[in-house]
Order: sequence, then structure tokens, then C-alpha cells
Amino acid sequence: MIRESLFRAGRRCLPALLLLFATAPGILSAQDRFVVRPEPGTSVVALEVLVATGPADETPEQAGLAYLTARVAVAPIRRTLDALGAHLTVQAHKDALGFTLTAAPDAWMEASRTLLVALFRDPADSLSMIRERAALRAELIGREASPADALARDVDAAVFGGEHPWRRPAAGYSTTVEKLTLSDVDGFIRTYLVPERTVAVVVGPVDPSGAREHVGAFLRGAPWQAPRVPAPEPLDSPIRQEYNSITTWVAASYPFSAEVDAEAVRLVGMLAAEELSFGPSRRSVYNAHSEVVRRPGGGELRVHIVVPPREVDAWTGRIGEAVSRFADRKLSDAVFRERLRRFRGVRLRELDTPEARAQAAARELFVGTGAEGSLVDALDELDAEQVLAAARALRSPTLVVLGPFLDDD
Amino acid sequence: MLSLFLTLAAGTAAADTASPPSRPADAAAGMVAVHRQPAIPIVALRMSVLADDPPGYAGAGHLVQHLVLPTLREQVRRVGGDVQITRGADAVVYTVVGPASELDYLAGVLRSTLRPPQLTEAQLVAAQRELRDERNAEWETAAGHVRALLRARLFPEDLSPAGTPASAERFTPEVVRSVWARMYQPERVAVIAVGDVQVGRVQEAFSRLPDPSGGGYREAMADTVPAAPPVSPEATRGWVGLGYSASDADPAALTVVARLLRDHLRERLPSASVEVEHWWTRQGQGLAVVVAAQPAGLAAARRTTGAAVGALTSTLNEERVRAAAAAVRRDMLFYARRPDRMADVVGQFVDRQGDANAAQRFYAEVERVDEAEVRAVLARLADRTPVAVDVPPQRLPNR
Repeated sequence: MIRESLFRAGRRCLPALLLLFATAPGILSAQDRFVVRPEPGTSVVALEVLVATGPADETPEQAGLAYLTARVAVAPIRRTLDALGAHLTVQAHKDALGFTLTAAPDAWMEASRTLLVALFRDPADSLSMIRERAALRAELIGREASPADALARDVDAAVFGGEHPWRRPAAGYSTTVEKLTLSDVDGFIRTYLVPERTVAVVVGPVDPSGAREHVGAFLRGAPWQAPRVPAPEPLDSPIRQEYNSITTWVAASYPFSAEVDAEAVRLVGMLAAEELSFGPSRRSVYNAHSEVVRRPGGGELRVHIVVPPREVDAWTGRIGEAVSRFADRKLSDAVFRERLRRFRGVRLRELDTPEARAQAAARELFVGTGAEGSLVDALDELDAEQVLAAARALRSPTLVVLGPFLDDD
Repeated sequence: MLSLFLTLAAGTAAADTASPPSRPADAAAGMVAVHRQPAIPIVALRMSVLADDPPGYAGAGHLVQHLVLPTLREQVRRVGGDVQITRGADAVVYTVVGPASELDYLAGVLRSTLRPPQLTEAQLVAAQRELRDERNAEWETAAGHVRALLRARLFPEDLSPAGTPASAERFTPEVVRSVWARMYQPERVAVIAVGDVQVGRVQEAFSRLPDPSGGGYREAMADTVPAAPPVSPEATRGWVGLGYSASDADPAALTVVARLLRDHLRERLPSASVEVEHWWTRQGQGLAVVVAAQPAGLAAARRTTGAAVGALTSTLNEERVRAAAAAVRRDMLFYARRPDRMADVVGQFVDRQGDANAAQRFYAEVERVDEAEVRAVLARLADRTPVAVDVPPQRLPNR
């Protein structure tokens, strides 16, 4: 049996979650939604555009419409961007579509103009629609067969509740995407791919005023349209889902509020994952890792492990222990310094490209903490007290176990 | 002051180069170059040791890298850093990336790799196994097979960095230590630092390198490589490789030609995979064309590839040259957007030409390449017979 005592019922944190997710980011004016970070010495310019739309603006039958729309919108400009030596990636988040453009300093203005025109002014193109729908459907069929993807879907369903739009994958399902039409995409572009829902960050060797003038022209005067996302209704935890695999996948999701130091939570997650990872005394753990997702109003720490089915109960309990031990007592100074030294290096390296820095800054802007805040400052100010406070501020986890359950035989 | 090509694009920041006193007694690195990137407080340190493997001991430099890698990785991990090892045709290279505040620590870790390796038989066996796997991996796929054969024919003196089966048998702990003692000399060490660091601090960090312990390997021997390469790999597509020796070509113009040829072939062979690479080491320069096509289109792909130099010459114009040169420069900037990659680009030029300004010069020269220079390179290529490699597609049973 899973040790449920370690995982208090998720319903207890519902009032707090209602507050977390029902509110929109506190960004209002167009000026506040666009930041330029000049970086002399960086070789390319990165532009991150986040448009606040996603599953919350789709019906269940339209799952994947936001992501398909994003791909259809940029498909016609790919050749132009190639010719400029620019690189564009599109990502579907639960709460936003992310467009990451990287270009040489002599090409970034033309490349970014091309992107922003395609996003905000061009109509949907029928040929792109047919191609992108087929490509996305094929990708989703591959993804849906993966146990990692299945676990993510089940965790989302458990964390957000059966009817919540974020329970659905941001990229949709192969079965819903194949039914989407050009009319769906065209309507979505006009309604939701709009400057009123956009935040943008430019990072790189740019003239700040020129960059502000250039990108700001696409956002100017557009008042912020706060997307409305219903409050989640987490399911009772733990949730056990039968899945045909030879390993068992376990995830624990710990919500936290906007006041909690996200870097301290990240450090707790990293240390917990290290305690669960394969090692001399943990030979049966195939994989363990953690991630922190920031959203307006707070965020979520997820810890995942992959273990043999026969050991799932023991390891499920150990996830809780690995996290809760940091809430029990403060790390000693020596241990904290040693852990922080490593964590700091890992976090800084995650920002080693201009596009990673643009993405991080845009996310901060989007969640309302402001892109001007420096990760370096946050890391340098981190202390053992904050880690203790962050671990204690984590709310009851939602727990999902996916795999064969041998004890049911 | 050195204004690297990356800062040329940015137009503001600059890099510094320092060649510290090179008296042997100082045991300082032969060259220290710093490119300041204050955007994020991390630093990439690329340390290269310019050295050929001694005759008969091919793979020695890379073997030493594999021996020190586990310790290196563990040490760098303590500060959340990352480490890479590469053995190029010109140098043994270690690159570490980590917080700029850990510069002294990271530099110390790098310096420790220069000492004669302390190793056991078991460690040696493990490292040799890794080298053998690398040697085999070069021939494992059709893409690797074609490139390995082209390299062997264009640069016969340039053996695999992973050595040869014969040289592998000569390594014992004692031999490895003595061979490394011969290869390592402080003045052959070049350090490129990219990140939020000052040149003075980096120079200081590499001002006292371990003393070379002298000595040397027992006797020079001949490196022997198998006369025949391994059998062709099983591939579902047919692979065509053409290699042009081009050591006498202007490097910037040759790079632009590689780009033009690639674009030309991709346009004419839309269903094939096409790569055209400019190979440039101290051994010389070459142009490698690697094309993979489905069996039905293989004959056409062979013809188009063989005629590509002539066809490109007849369609060339100044506008296409300008576009190709701009694309090369933008690709360089994009590749170098991470500190370790920028250190790699700058470091490769330093290893090859011994000049910290070489990367900057090359970047500027690419912009100046014109149609006449490209035509001159194409004429040279058209005048010589390329080495050719062919990997036929396997015959699949009817289903």
C-alpha cells in the first residue's frame, strides 16, 4: 500500500489554489509588458514573445487548437527566417504560447518584424494549416505512446481536476487535432493571438531605445486582456493508474504560492531528486528528477521517479520523506553552502544562451514578478532559512502512480 | 586589445589577449585570451595543449583525457559546472563551464590535468575500451564511414584521435606517463576564457602550470592502420562522398564555397540529405561533400554531386556570394552564442594558427569574399580529381 499518511489530502489546499489560479498576472500597460535587456558581448539577439492563451481558450473538443494556431501562424515565414539565418521555436505552455526567435544582430529587426507581423496581422494560410495539422497529429501519436507523457497527463488531471482546461495537454490530442479546421484556426488567431495578451523580452547586443521602438510598435496602446482560468479542483490523492509497462512511474506535485521563493523551492527539488536518484543504496531507481513550473499566482514543484513495480510503495513514501526532511530542520551552514555552490552553478548554466535568458525574463514578466529581477541576485541572497521556509510553504502534494500494480494480482 | 568577431557584431565589448612571459621557468600558459561577456556570471575556460601524438603512440593524448575525465567531471560537478574533452587534429582540449566566481577553482581543476597521469592497470583498461569504442563508432554509421574514409584519403597523416588498434596495444601505465611528459610543454598551452572575468585574473590563474617532467617515450615507432577499412555499413539509403584537397585555397573563400555548394546541391536534390564541410587543420584544408539519397534517386544524386562544382560556377553571381557570406557569418554568431562554443571557435583558430586575432580576421575576411575569389577557388577544385567514397544501399527483402 502507498503510505497515504505522508500525503495529506489535496483538497485541504483548495482555497489557496482558488486564489492562485483565478487571478491574472499583474501586468497592465503595454510598456510594462515589454522589456529590453542590452547585452554587449553576446553574439546574437533573442526575442521571446509569450501570448497568454492556451487550453483555457479551447473547448475540450478543440484541444490543441492554440498550439496548432501558433504553428500555422509561423509556418509561412519559416523560409524567410531561414534566409535571414534566424531560428524560431514555438512552445505550448498551459498558460501561454511561447515564440523564441534568435537572430544575428544585423538581421534581428527584420526577423522580429516578420514574426510579429505573422502573429498579429497575417491571416491563417490553408496550405500551412493542412501541413501543420498532419505534422502535429503525427507527433502527438508518437508522444501519446510514451509513459512519461502518460504520467504528465495523469498528473495534470489530478492536479487541476477532471474538468479543468489545464488537465489537457497544451499540445492537444491526436484525435482532437485531426478534426480542427481552418475556420477554427482563423477564429483563434483573430481572438487570442493579439498584442493585448502579449509580453515580450529582447536580450542581446541591441540599442535599447531602437529595440523598444521597434518591438513596442506592435504592442503600443494595447491594454492587457487578462485571461480567465478557472480554479483547479485537485482530485483525491493518491491516484493509481494502470499502465502497460515494465516500470512504475511516480510523480508528486507540490503547489506553492506567489510569496514563496521559487529558487529556494527549486533547490529543495534538486536536493530531493538527488536523494532519490540511482546510487549505491538506491540501485533500483531508474530515474529521478524534479522541476519547478511558475505560473501567475505561484507555481508547482514536481518530483518524478521511475522504479520497479514491486518497490513502488516504498519509493512513493520516500518521495515524501525526501521533500519533507527539508521542512523538518534547517540545513547546517556547511551543508547549505556546499549544496548552494552546486545549485548556483547549475542554475547559471541553464541561462547560458541569450534565448534562455529571454525565456526566463519573459516568464518572470508574465507571472508578475517583473523581468528586471535578477536570478543572480536571487541566488546570491538565498540562505538556509529561505530553504526551510520554502520547504515548509509547500502545500500537500498530489500523488500519481502509473504502471502495473503487482499487488493487485 | 582583441576585438573578436562576436563583439564586432555587437559593436561594444572587447576581448583581451595576454601572452605572459614565456620563459620556461615561469611555466605559464603560452597564450591567455579573454573575451568578456558580462551578461551572466559564468565562465567557459578552454585549455588546449598543442601536441601531436608521438609516432607509434596514436591516440595517446585522447587516452590521457579519458583517464582524467572521471575525476575532472566529479570536481567540476561540485560547483555545478560541466566539462568536455575533445581531441582535434591540432590539440588536446579541455573545456569547463561554471560560475565566474569559481574561476580559480575551475582553473585549478584544469591545471591538474597537465600533470603526468597517475593510473592503475584497471583505469587504463577502461580508458582503452572507451577509445576502442570511439574508433569503432567512426565506422559504425554510413555518415561516419564516409567521413572517415574521406579524411583518411585527404589527410593520410592525420590518424584518428582515438588512435589505432596497434598503438593501443603499446600503452602501459609507464608508457602513458612518459608519452604525456613528452607531449606536454607549458608554452604549448593556450587558454581561452569567455565570460564575466577579467584578463588579469585568468592570466594569474594560469601563470603557474605544472612543471613538465621531461623524459619521453622509449622509441619512435610507425603507426600502422589497417590497409582496408571495415566493410561498408548497412544503410537504407545510398551514400556518396567527395573530398577535394584545397590546402592552397583562401580559407574564407573556401568556407563561402562550401556554403554555396551546399545550397546548390540542396536545391537540386530536395529529397536527399546534403552536407558540405570545410575541413581545416594544421594538416591542410579540404572540402567534403556528403550526400545520402534513396536508391531510386542515387544515380541522379551521383551525377549532380559530381557535376556540382561546374554547375555552380556557371550560375554564380555576386549576389549569391554576398548571401552565402552573410549566412556563414550569421551561422558563426549563432553557434558561438554560448560561452563554451565561443571559446571553442576562438580556440580552434588559436590552435591552428597560433594567433588570438585569427578568428576575428577570418570573420572579417568572410565578409569581404567576392565573386572573383569564389570563382578562383571553384576553378582550383574543378582542376583536380576529388577522392570518392560510395556506400551502396542495402538490398531490403520485399515485404
